[in-house]
Amino acid sequence: MRVPYSYLREQFADSEPILRDIKGLLESTQFTLGPPVAEFEERFARLCGARHAIGVGTGTDALFLSLKALGVAPGDEVITAADTFIATAGAIVQAGARPVFVDVLDDFNIDPGKIEAAITPRTKVLLPVHYAGQPAKMGPILEIARRHQLPVVEDACQAISAAIDGKLVSNFGVAAGFSLHPLKNLNVWGDGGVIVTNSSDMDATLRLLRNHGLRNRDEVEVFGYNCRLDSLQAIVGNHLIRDTEAITAARIQNALALDAGLAPLAPRVRVPKRLPNERHVFHLYMFEADDRDQLLAWLLEREIEAKIHYPVPLHLQPAGRGLGYKEGDFPVAERQAKRIITLPVHQHLRAAQVQFMIDCVAEFYHAR
Amino acid sequence: MTGPIMRVKYMDLPRQFEDGAVVARVMDEFKRCQFVLGPQVAEFEGRFARVCGAAHAVGLNSGTDALFFALRALGVGPGDEVITVPNSFVATAGAIVMAGATPVFVDVNAEYLMDPARLADALTPRTRAIIPVHLTGNPADLDAIGAIATRRNLPIIEDAAQAVGAAIGGRVVGSIGAAAAFSLFPLKNLGVAGDGGMLTTGSRELFEKVMLLRHHGLRNRDEVEVWGYNSRLDTIQAIVADAVLDGLEAVTATRIRNAAFYDRALAPLAPRIVVPPRRPGVRQVFHTYVVQAERRDGLREFLDSRGVETKIHYPIPIHLQKAAEGLGYKRGAFPVCEAQSERIVSLPVHEYLTPAEQQYVVDRIREFYGQ
Repeated sequence: MRVPYSYLREQFADSEPILRDIKGLLESTQFTLGPPVAEFEERFARLCGARHAIGVGTGTDALFLSLKALGVAPGDEVITAADTFIATAGAIVQAGARPVFVDVLDDFNIDPGKIEAAITPRTKVLLPVHYAGQPAKMGPILEIARRHQLPVVEDACQAISAAIDGKLVSNFGVAAGFSLHPLKNLNVWGDGGVIVTNSSDMDATLRLLRNHGLRNRDEVEVFGYNCRLDSLQAIVGNHLIRDTEAITAARIQNALALDAGLAPLAPRVRVPKRLPNERHVFHLYMFEADDRDQLLAWLLEREIEAKIHYPVPLHLQPAGRGLGYKEGDFPVAERQAKRIITLPVHQHLRAAQVQFMIDCVAEFYHAR
Repeated sequence: MTGPIMRVKYMDLPRQFEDGAVVARVMDEFKRCQFVLGPQVAEFEGRFARVCGAAHAVGLNSGTDALFFALRALGVGPGDEVITVPNSFVATAGAIVMAGATPVFVDVNAEYLMDPARLADALTPRTRAIIPVHLTGNPADLDAIGAIATRRNLPIIEDAAQAVGAAIGGRVVGSIGAAAAFSLFPLKNLGVAGDGGMLTTGSRELFEKVMLLRHHGLRNRDEVEVWGYNSRLDTIQAIVADAVLDGLEAVTATRIRNAAFYDRALAPLAPRIVVPPRRPGVRQVFHTYVVQAERRDGLREFLDSRGVETKIHYPIPIHLQKAAEGLGYKRGAFPVCEAQSERIVSLPVHEYLTPAEQQYVVDRIREFYGQ
């Protein structure tokens, strides 16, 4: 049974309503920061239960601009998790700062117990990642931030609608970055990102920075960037944002089925503990597995498109060499990099496909 | 004035997409496309490189990013200086600041272009690159600038954001400097349905660096070679660009014809109106048609009241912007640019202007000056 990772074909089987609106845009030609962007920003802010949303070019830009709005500059350090998509660290480097990594917990998110040891006088921002859609431990993180008077920017690129005790991500830090990349839970037809903030100052600064620092057509307040969410992509977003809750619910349901099906395979399969007060939205369904590489090959052979997010931790990437880390610095992240595997969990999976994945994983371990 | 008021828009963007066949074609491709770095991006890059006579072209998120990536790929960073002009769109200086470097300005000549005679004064030991701007679609004097750059072994990055198709002699812009940056912003001669930009270069090494940098520094899905960025031309925009590119030569030819009409018709109004100077052997593509006008603001108001939309590119030079306060320039630093900023006005020159509309614009200008 084929279990593909990408679901874009199914998601856009009927794209006529979106295409109709795009055709309207081509006729109106309000391509740059037009009404669809403002409408999408409003909807996005509402979905997050936050005051402001700013549409930008990418999730990477969302993090980069948030750091710049907080004044991050060369010589500064920004603390983040050791296992995340490269763009988290890339955005820090782009802002001129140095990424300082902290090891992670079994839920793949930054370990609050190890953050304080990483804080130096040069630390400017804490940048926890809600990795895979699992919210980071924001209670303890905010406590540390408060003690050290550091702003927190949430990397919520994979975590739209995730929550802790009913409080949605993006409402913990001073700003949060979201990605609208085609494979995200809320996606568009190309690159796109959103920054969410409850601070009017941040909102004003970010709106300047994303559009060349222009106060109006002729006056340049600060040197800025060109990082705008295209109106065309906002149109797609305006259609899809109506589905976000249903998509999230479907992913959670698939994840719970996988959890139940894989539980008997412990300890060879190690699914992170789920806490009832945390809403994990399962952008990725990740777990640790014995004999991971063989399991991956086994699943691929059975046309289950499993993946690894990611096999090489950031501090061991060629790009990370200049940071001076070495193997052994982040034992949990390093162990996980060798053991993690990601199964399809998207909203277009059928129950039979979920069961097939469980059966194949079980069969793999029973055969050994 | 006799006769009714005629509405002459500065640009008529909706007409770009009024051709049902073009819209149907792009819409059909949208349905089936791979949204991020789909094959249409590479196809458009290949076509664009050929248009520019360059070996390589890379699709990026914006023209600003194209300048920034050229600087980054050439190793420009904090502590470095990059020379450019103060009369450009702010993004030219913005890209330099984004790279961590300091913009150093050189005054312009009567053609609104970097004045090579003043370039030497701006050079310091920290100068790392020169960004001449082909403002209005008129190529900067790359022979004279190039001679100075070569002596100092400095790379030239062409800011060709407004100048696709322009040429000096047989050399097309985008093929002359170490790299060139183009914008695909909707109002450009080659515009898409959102943000987009192109970098061209003859250097394989620079090309490969930019290809890495635009996509998170990823060598492949799992290996990160260098710290990078996320700046990709959307596949959807590449599809639009490819469709629009078919009409580029016609758009350029029409703009050149419209400019020639103004040149002739406005010449008798000199010196109250100064039409853009020409130099032989140069192909200007007239992204904007900029004249200098006596009583500029009065003229604009008058034209506006008669239905003619005009613009100013740009009323405040970059060195006098609030953003530039830290750079330490004062009013008077660039007298030519400053004087021009008070006299320049951009007349509609777009490809959808009719001869009657152009004649109307000319007649109203004459009327304003009492001729």
